[in-house]
Amino acid sequence: MVSAPVKVQHNDEWINCKITIDDEKIVIPPPVNATIPLKHIVDLEEKKKNTLTIIRKDGSVIDLVSVEKVRFVLKHKILMKCSGYRLMVQFMSPAIRGGVLVTNAIWEKGAIIVLKTGIWCITQNKQICIQIDDVTGIELTKREVNDKPTDVVRIDHLEHHDVVSSFILTQISTLQILHNFLQEATAGIKMEGTELGAMDQQIAMLVYSGMDSSSIQNMLQIQFKEIDRVYEKLINLNMAEVKEIRREVQLTAKGVRYITDATKSGAN
Amino acid sequence: MGRILIVDDTLFMRTLLKNILFSGGHEIVGEAGDGAEAVEKYQALKPDLVTMDVVMPKMNGIEALKEIKKFDPGAKVVMCTAVGQEQMVKLAIKTGARGYVVKPFQAPKVLDEVKNVLAS
Repeated sequence: MVSAPVKVQHNDEWINCKITIDDEKIVIPPPVNATIPLKHIVDLEEKKKNTLTIIRKDGSVIDLVSVEKVRFVLKHKILMKCSGYRLMVQFMSPAIRGGVLVTNAIWEKGAIIVLKTGIWCITQNKQICIQIDDVTGIELTKREVNDKPTDVVRIDHLEHHDVVSSFILTQISTLQILHNFLQEATAGIKMEGTELGAMDQQIAMLVYSGMDSSSIQNMLQIQFKEIDRVYEKLINLNMAEVKEIRREVQLTAKGVRYITDATKSGAN
Repeated sequence: MGRILIVDDTLFMRTLLKNILFSGGHEIVGEAGDGAEAVEKYQALKPDLVTMDVVMPKMNGIEALKEIKKFDPGAKVVMCTAVGQEQMVKLAIKTGARGYVVKPFQAPKVLDEVKNVLAS
Protein backbone atom coordinates (compact mmCIF):
# COMPACT_ATOMS: atom_id res chain seq x y z
CA MET A 1 0.00 0.00 0.00
CA VAL A 2 1.27 3.48 -0.89
CA SER A 3 0.19 6.81 0.57
CA ALA A 4 0.77 9.99 -1.37
CA PRO A 5 -0.10 13.67 -1.02
CA VAL A 6 -2.26 14.95 -3.87
CA LYS A 7 -4.79 17.61 -4.69
CA VAL A 8 -8.18 16.26 -5.68
CA GLN A 9 -10.84 18.26 -7.45
CA HIS A 10 -14.06 18.14 -5.44
CA ASN A 11 -17.13 20.35 -5.93
CA ASP A 12 -15.10 22.75 -8.09
CA GLU A 13 -12.42 23.10 -5.42
CA TRP A 14 -8.97 21.57 -5.10
CA ILE A 15 -8.68 19.65 -1.83
CA ASN A 16 -5.28 18.74 -0.35
CA CYS A 17 -5.32 15.18 0.94
CA LYS A 18 -3.36 11.97 1.29
CA ILE A 19 -4.68 9.17 -0.84
CA THR A 20 -3.77 5.52 -0.45
CA ILE A 21 -3.41 3.07 -3.28
CA ASP A 22 -2.91 -0.68 -3.21
CA ASP A 23 -3.19 -3.40 -5.83
CA GLU A 24 -6.98 -3.24 -5.77
CA LYS A 25 -8.14 0.30 -5.06
CA ILE A 26 -7.50 3.97 -4.52
CA VAL A 27 -8.91 5.44 -1.33
CA ILE A 28 -9.51 9.18 -1.12
CA PRO A 29 -10.26 10.37 2.44
CA PRO A 30 -13.03 12.83 3.45
CA PRO A 31 -14.33 15.25 2.41
CA VAL A 32 -14.06 13.52 -0.98
CA ASN A 33 -14.51 10.14 0.68
CA ALA A 34 -14.24 7.80 -2.30
CA THR A 35 -13.00 4.29 -2.85
CA ILE A 36 -12.18 3.55 -6.46
CA PRO A 37 -11.61 -0.12 -7.38
CA LEU A 38 -8.82 -0.13 -9.98
CA LYS A 39 -10.81 -2.48 -12.20
CA HIS A 40 -13.56 0.15 -12.40
CA ILE A 41 -11.15 2.54 -14.11
CA VAL A 42 -11.52 2.54 -17.90
CA ASP A 43 -9.32 5.45 -18.96
CA LEU A 44 -6.46 7.70 -17.89
CA GLU A 45 -5.61 11.08 -19.31
CA GLU A 46 -2.82 13.58 -18.72
CA LYS A 47 -3.98 16.52 -20.76
CA LYS A 48 -3.29 19.22 -18.18
CA LYS A 49 0.10 19.79 -16.62
CA ASN A 50 0.71 17.68 -13.50
CA THR A 51 -2.90 16.47 -13.63
CA LEU A 52 -4.00 12.89 -13.86
CA THR A 53 -7.59 12.38 -14.94
CA ILE A 54 -9.12 9.06 -13.95
CA ILE A 55 -12.26 7.97 -15.77
CA ARG A 56 -14.50 5.32 -14.20
CA LYS A 57 -16.86 2.85 -15.83
CA ASP A 58 -19.85 4.97 -14.85
CA GLY A 59 -18.34 7.95 -16.68
CA SER A 60 -17.43 9.86 -13.52
CA VAL A 61 -14.11 11.66 -13.57
CA ILE A 62 -11.54 12.30 -10.86
CA ASP A 63 -8.80 14.89 -11.37
CA LEU A 64 -5.67 14.51 -9.25
CA VAL A 65 -2.74 16.90 -9.17
CA SER A 66 0.59 15.73 -7.84
CA VAL A 67 4.32 15.64 -8.49
CA GLU A 68 5.66 13.44 -11.30
CA LYS A 69 6.98 10.74 -8.95
CA VAL A 70 3.59 10.24 -7.34
CA ARG A 71 1.76 10.30 -10.68
CA PHE A 72 4.20 7.69 -12.01
CA VAL A 73 3.38 5.29 -9.16
CA LEU A 74 -0.35 5.95 -9.48
CA LYS A 75 -0.30 5.37 -13.23
CA HIS A 76 1.66 2.16 -12.88
CA LYS A 77 -0.72 0.73 -10.29
CA ILE A 78 -3.79 1.79 -12.28
CA LEU A 79 -2.50 0.61 -15.66
CA MET A 80 -1.61 -2.83 -14.33
CA LYS A 81 -5.07 -3.39 -12.86
CA CYS A 82 -7.58 -1.18 -14.68
CA SER A 83 -10.21 -2.36 -17.12
CA GLY A 84 -8.52 -2.36 -20.53
CA TYR A 85 -6.82 -4.62 -23.05
CA ARG A 86 -3.51 -5.56 -21.44
CA LEU A 87 -0.71 -7.75 -22.73
CA MET A 88 2.86 -8.45 -21.67
CA VAL A 89 5.05 -7.51 -24.61
CA GLN A 90 8.39 -6.16 -25.68
CA PHE A 91 8.29 -2.73 -27.24
CA MET A 92 10.64 -0.32 -28.94
CA SER A 93 9.43 3.26 -28.73
CA PRO A 94 10.39 5.45 -30.44
CA ALA A 95 12.09 3.32 -33.10
CA ILE A 96 11.85 5.71 -36.06
CA ARG A 97 11.40 9.47 -35.80
CA GLY A 98 10.68 11.53 -38.90
CA GLY A 99 11.90 8.68 -41.10
CA VAL A 100 15.23 8.38 -39.31
CA LEU A 101 16.03 5.32 -37.23
CA VAL A 102 16.50 6.24 -33.59
CA THR A 103 20.02 5.31 -32.54
CA ASN A 104 20.26 3.15 -29.43
CA ALA A 105 16.59 2.20 -29.63
CA ILE A 106 16.20 -1.02 -27.67
CA TRP A 107 13.54 -3.65 -27.03
CA GLU A 108 12.10 -3.20 -23.55
CA LYS A 109 10.13 -5.79 -21.63
CA GLY A 110 6.87 -4.47 -20.27
CA ALA A 111 3.18 -4.26 -20.96
CA ILE A 112 0.91 -2.65 -23.49
CA ILE A 113 -2.41 -1.39 -22.21
CA VAL A 114 -5.05 -0.12 -24.61
CA LEU A 115 -7.54 2.28 -23.04
CA LYS A 116 -10.23 4.48 -24.58
CA THR A 117 -8.00 7.43 -25.41
CA GLY A 118 -4.49 6.03 -25.26
CA ILE A 119 -2.17 3.14 -25.94
CA TRP A 120 0.23 2.83 -23.01
CA CYS A 121 3.58 1.05 -23.15
CA ILE A 122 5.02 0.68 -19.69
CA THR A 123 7.94 -0.87 -17.84
CA GLN A 124 9.00 -0.45 -14.22
CA ASN A 125 10.84 2.76 -15.19
CA LYS A 126 9.08 4.03 -18.25
CA GLN A 127 5.57 5.08 -19.28
CA ILE A 128 4.75 6.04 -22.83
CA CYS A 129 1.25 7.05 -23.87
CA ILE A 130 0.34 7.17 -27.54
CA GLN A 131 -2.89 9.11 -27.88
CA ILE A 132 -5.38 7.21 -30.04
CA ASP A 133 -6.15 10.48 -31.86
CA ASP A 134 -2.47 10.79 -32.79
CA VAL A 135 -2.17 7.31 -34.31
CA THR A 136 -1.52 7.51 -38.05
CA GLY A 137 -1.18 3.81 -38.81
CA ILE A 138 -1.25 0.29 -37.39
CA GLU A 139 0.49 -2.41 -39.35
CA LEU A 140 1.51 -6.03 -38.92
CA THR A 141 5.01 -6.12 -40.38
CA LYS A 142 8.41 -7.78 -40.06
CA ARG A 143 11.50 -6.50 -38.33
CA GLU A 144 14.87 -8.11 -37.70
CA VAL A 145 15.07 -9.25 -34.10
CA ASN A 146 18.15 -11.26 -33.09
CA ASP A 147 19.11 -11.60 -36.76
CA LYS A 148 15.74 -13.11 -37.71
CA PRO A 149 12.89 -11.40 -39.55
CA THR A 150 10.19 -11.38 -36.88
CA ASP A 151 6.51 -10.40 -36.96
CA VAL A 152 5.85 -7.18 -35.07
CA VAL A 153 3.07 -4.63 -34.82
CA ARG A 154 4.09 -1.19 -35.95
CA ILE A 155 2.29 1.86 -34.54
CA ASP A 156 2.86 5.13 -36.38
CA HIS A 157 1.86 8.23 -34.48
CA LEU A 158 2.40 11.96 -34.18
CA GLU A 159 4.50 13.28 -31.31
CA HIS A 160 5.00 17.05 -31.17
CA HIS A 161 4.49 17.21 -34.97
CA ASP A 162 7.12 14.48 -35.54
CA VAL A 163 5.96 11.25 -37.13
CA VAL A 164 7.16 8.48 -34.85
CA SER A 165 7.04 4.70 -35.25
CA SER A 166 7.01 2.25 -32.37
CA PHE A 167 7.18 -1.54 -32.55
CA ILE A 168 5.47 -4.14 -30.39
CA LEU A 169 6.72 -7.68 -30.18
CA THR A 170 4.95 -10.62 -28.59
CA GLN A 171 4.18 -14.26 -29.33
CA ILE A 172 2.90 -14.71 -32.85
CA SER A 173 -0.35 -16.23 -31.58
CA THR A 174 -1.28 -13.04 -29.71
CA LEU A 175 0.29 -10.59 -32.14
CA GLN A 176 -2.56 -10.94 -34.63
CA ILE A 177 -5.10 -10.40 -31.84
CA LEU A 178 -3.21 -7.32 -30.68
CA HIS A 179 -3.08 -6.04 -34.24
CA ASN A 180 -6.82 -6.54 -34.70
CA PHE A 181 -7.56 -4.94 -31.36
CA LEU A 182 -5.40 -1.90 -32.11
CA GLN A 183 -7.02 -1.56 -35.51
CA GLU A 184 -10.44 -1.56 -33.90
CA ALA A 185 -9.35 0.89 -31.22
CA THR A 186 -8.08 3.26 -33.88
CA ALA A 187 -10.90 2.62 -36.36
CA GLY A 188 -11.45 6.35 -36.71
CA ILE A 189 -8.29 6.62 -38.81
CA LYS A 190 -9.45 4.16 -41.49
CA MET A 191 -8.85 5.58 -44.92
CA GLU A 192 -11.79 4.18 -46.89
CA GLY A 193 -13.19 6.79 -49.24
CA THR A 194 -10.02 8.83 -49.12
CA GLU A 195 -9.00 8.97 -52.74
CA LEU A 196 -6.09 11.16 -53.76
CA GLY A 197 -4.87 11.68 -57.29
CA ALA A 198 -1.18 11.52 -58.21
CA MET A 199 -0.67 15.27 -57.85
CA ASP A 200 -2.59 15.32 -54.56
CA GLN A 201 -0.36 12.55 -53.23
CA GLN A 202 2.81 14.32 -54.30
CA ILE A 203 1.72 17.54 -52.61
CA ALA A 204 0.68 15.65 -49.47
CA MET A 205 4.09 13.94 -49.41
CA LEU A 206 5.86 17.29 -49.73
CA VAL A 207 3.77 18.76 -46.90
CA TYR A 208 4.71 15.71 -44.81
CA SER A 209 8.37 16.39 -45.55
CA GLY A 210 7.99 19.93 -44.26
CA MET A 211 7.87 21.88 -47.55
CA ASP A 212 5.94 25.15 -47.60
CA SER A 213 3.70 26.22 -50.46
CA SER A 214 6.33 28.28 -52.27
CA SER A 215 8.84 25.38 -52.16
CA ILE A 216 6.12 23.04 -53.48
CA GLN A 217 5.31 25.53 -56.22
CA ASN A 218 8.97 25.65 -57.27
CA MET A 219 9.52 21.91 -57.03
CA LEU A 220 6.47 20.85 -58.98
CA GLN A 221 6.38 23.90 -61.26
CA ILE A 222 2.67 24.45 -60.70
CA GLN A 223 0.45 27.43 -59.99
CA PHE A 224 -0.44 28.26 -56.41
CA LYS A 225 -4.10 27.84 -57.38
CA GLU A 226 -3.46 24.11 -57.92
CA ILE A 227 -1.71 23.79 -54.55
CA ASP A 228 -4.58 25.62 -52.91
CA ARG A 229 -7.05 23.20 -54.52
CA VAL A 230 -5.16 20.23 -53.06
CA TYR A 231 -4.82 21.90 -49.65
CA GLU A 232 -8.60 22.44 -49.66
CA LYS A 233 -9.13 18.75 -50.47
CA LEU A 234 -6.74 17.60 -47.72
CA ILE A 235 -8.45 19.89 -45.21
CA ASN A 236 -11.92 18.64 -46.22
CA LEU A 237 -10.73 15.04 -45.79
CA ASN A 238 -9.40 15.91 -42.30
CA MET A 239 -5.95 15.00 -43.55
CA ALA A 240 -4.53 18.46 -42.96
CA GLU A 241 -5.23 21.57 -40.96
CA VAL A 242 -4.49 25.21 -41.59
CA LYS A 243 -1.15 26.19 -40.08
CA GLU A 244 -1.00 29.79 -41.21
CA ILE A 245 -2.69 32.02 -43.74
CA ARG A 246 -0.37 34.14 -45.83
CA ARG A 247 -1.72 37.32 -47.38
CA GLU A 248 -0.86 38.86 -50.71
CA VAL A 249 -1.34 42.62 -50.76
CA GLN A 250 -1.24 45.43 -53.28
CA LEU A 251 -0.48 49.06 -52.49
CA THR A 252 -3.23 51.63 -52.15
CA ALA A 253 -2.91 55.14 -53.58
CA LYS A 254 -1.33 56.19 -50.26
CA GLY A 255 1.20 53.40 -50.44
CA VAL A 256 2.04 54.15 -54.06
CA ARG A 257 2.47 57.86 -53.22
CA TYR A 258 4.81 57.01 -50.31
CA ILE A 259 7.01 54.80 -52.47
CA THR A 260 7.01 57.33 -55.32
CA ASP A 261 7.96 60.16 -52.97
CA ALA A 262 10.62 58.08 -51.28
CA THR A 263 12.16 57.23 -54.65
CA LYS A 264 12.09 60.89 -55.74
CA SER A 265 13.76 62.05 -52.55
CA GLY A 266 16.41 59.40 -52.98
CA ALA A 267 15.60 57.90 -49.60
CA ASN A 268 15.08 54.50 -51.12
CA MET B 1 28.11 21.43 -44.89
CA GLY B 2 28.82 18.73 -47.42
CA ARG B 3 29.01 17.93 -51.11
CA ILE B 4 26.27 15.39 -51.66
CA LEU B 5 25.37 12.88 -54.37
CA ILE B 6 21.66 11.95 -54.44
CA VAL B 7 20.75 8.50 -55.75
CA ASP B 8 17.10 7.57 -56.32
CA ASP B 9 15.24 6.16 -59.31
CA THR B 10 12.36 8.64 -58.98
CA LEU B 11 12.78 12.23 -60.04
CA PHE B 12 10.26 13.27 -57.39
CA MET B 13 12.33 11.83 -54.53
CA ARG B 14 15.55 13.26 -55.94
CA THR B 15 13.95 16.70 -56.20
CA LEU B 16 12.58 16.45 -52.67
CA LEU B 17 15.94 15.42 -51.22
CA LYS B 18 17.70 18.08 -53.27
CA ASN B 19 15.42 20.74 -51.77
CA ILE B 20 15.79 19.46 -48.24
CA LEU B 21 19.57 19.19 -48.44
CA PHE B 22 19.96 22.50 -50.22
CA SER B 23 17.85 24.21 -47.53
CA GLY B 24 20.30 22.76 -44.99
CA GLY B 25 23.20 24.50 -46.74
CA HIS B 26 24.58 21.46 -48.56
CA GLU B 27 25.87 21.43 -52.09
CA ILE B 28 24.30 18.88 -54.42
CA VAL B 29 27.16 17.78 -56.65
CA GLY B 30 25.22 15.21 -58.63
CA GLU B 31 22.23 12.92 -59.03
CA ALA B 32 21.94 9.33 -60.18
CA GLY B 33 18.88 7.30 -61.13
CA ASP B 34 20.27 3.79 -60.53
CA GLY B 35 23.06 1.96 -58.72
CA ALA B 36 25.42 1.71 -61.67
CA GLU B 37 25.19 5.43 -62.37
CA ALA B 38 25.73 6.07 -58.65
CA VAL B 39 29.02 4.15 -58.66
CA GLU B 40 30.20 5.98 -61.78
CA LYS B 41 29.26 9.38 -60.38
CA TYR B 42 30.81 8.61 -57.00
CA GLN B 43 34.13 7.83 -58.66
CA ALA B 44 33.98 10.96 -60.79
CA LEU B 45 32.67 13.42 -58.19
CA LYS B 46 34.04 12.02 -54.90
CA PRO B 47 31.23 13.55 -52.80
CA ASP B 48 31.38 13.88 -49.00
CA LEU B 49 28.16 11.89 -48.66
CA VAL B 50 25.72 9.86 -50.74
CA THR B 51 22.00 9.43 -50.08
CA MET B 52 21.22 6.04 -51.61
CA ASP B 53 17.82 4.55 -52.44
CA VAL B 54 17.69 0.78 -51.88
CA VAL B 55 15.30 -0.50 -54.54
CA MET B 56 16.45 0.67 -57.98
CA PRO B 57 16.74 -0.76 -61.49
CA LYS B 58 20.02 -2.10 -63.00
CA MET B 59 21.95 -2.19 -59.70
CA ASN B 60 20.20 -1.87 -56.32
CA GLY B 61 21.40 0.39 -53.52
CA ILE B 62 23.06 -2.37 -51.50
CA GLU B 63 25.11 -3.52 -54.53
CA ALA B 64 26.02 0.06 -55.35
CA LEU B 65 27.06 0.60 -51.73
CA LYS B 66 29.35 -2.45 -51.95
CA GLU B 67 30.97 -1.11 -55.13
CA ILE B 68 31.43 2.35 -53.66
CA LYS B 69 32.98 0.85 -50.52
CA LYS B 70 35.41 -1.16 -52.68
CA PHE B 71 36.48 2.07 -54.34
CA ASP B 72 36.48 4.17 -51.14
CA PRO B 73 36.24 2.28 -47.82
CA GLY B 74 35.64 5.57 -46.02
CA ALA B 75 32.62 6.52 -48.13
CA LYS B 76 29.74 8.00 -46.15
CA VAL B 77 26.45 6.61 -47.41
CA VAL B 78 22.99 7.19 -45.94
CA MET B 79 20.48 4.62 -47.19
CA CYS B 80 16.91 5.68 -48.01
CA THR B 81 14.14 3.15 -48.32
CA ALA B 82 10.40 2.79 -48.10
CA VAL B 83 8.35 1.83 -45.07
CA GLY B 84 8.32 -1.94 -44.57
CA GLN B 85 11.84 -2.53 -45.87
CA GLU B 86 13.57 -1.81 -42.57
CA GLN B 87 14.93 -5.36 -42.50
CA MET B 88 17.38 -4.06 -45.10
CA VAL B 89 18.92 -1.93 -42.32
CA LYS B 90 21.17 -4.64 -40.99
CA LEU B 91 22.35 -5.68 -44.41
CA ALA B 92 23.12 -2.09 -45.34
CA ILE B 93 24.88 -1.40 -42.04
CA LYS B 94 26.91 -4.61 -42.45
CA THR B 95 27.81 -3.45 -45.93
CA GLY B 96 29.03 -0.16 -44.54
CA ALA B 97 26.14 2.31 -44.61
CA ARG B 98 26.61 5.03 -42.01
CA GLY B 99 22.98 6.07 -41.69
CA TYR B 100 19.47 5.10 -42.67
CA VAL B 101 16.29 7.04 -43.37
CA VAL B 102 12.86 5.59 -44.02
CA LYS B 103 10.54 7.14 -46.61
CA PRO B 104 8.43 9.16 -46.14
CA PHE B 105 10.75 11.37 -44.14
CA GLN B 106 10.63 14.78 -42.50
CA ALA B 107 13.15 17.39 -43.57
CA PRO B 108 14.65 18.32 -40.17
CA LYS B 109 15.28 14.67 -39.32
CA VAL B 110 17.00 14.00 -42.64
CA LEU B 111 19.21 17.05 -42.14
CA ASP B 112 20.11 15.88 -38.62
CA GLU B 113 21.04 12.42 -39.91
CA VAL B 114 23.16 13.86 -42.73
CA LYS B 115 24.85 16.25 -40.29
CA ASN B 116 25.63 13.38 -37.89
CA VAL B 117 27.05 11.17 -40.63
CA LEU B 118 29.15 14.00 -42.08
CA ALA B 119 30.55 14.68 -38.60
CA SER B 120 31.31 11.02 -37.93
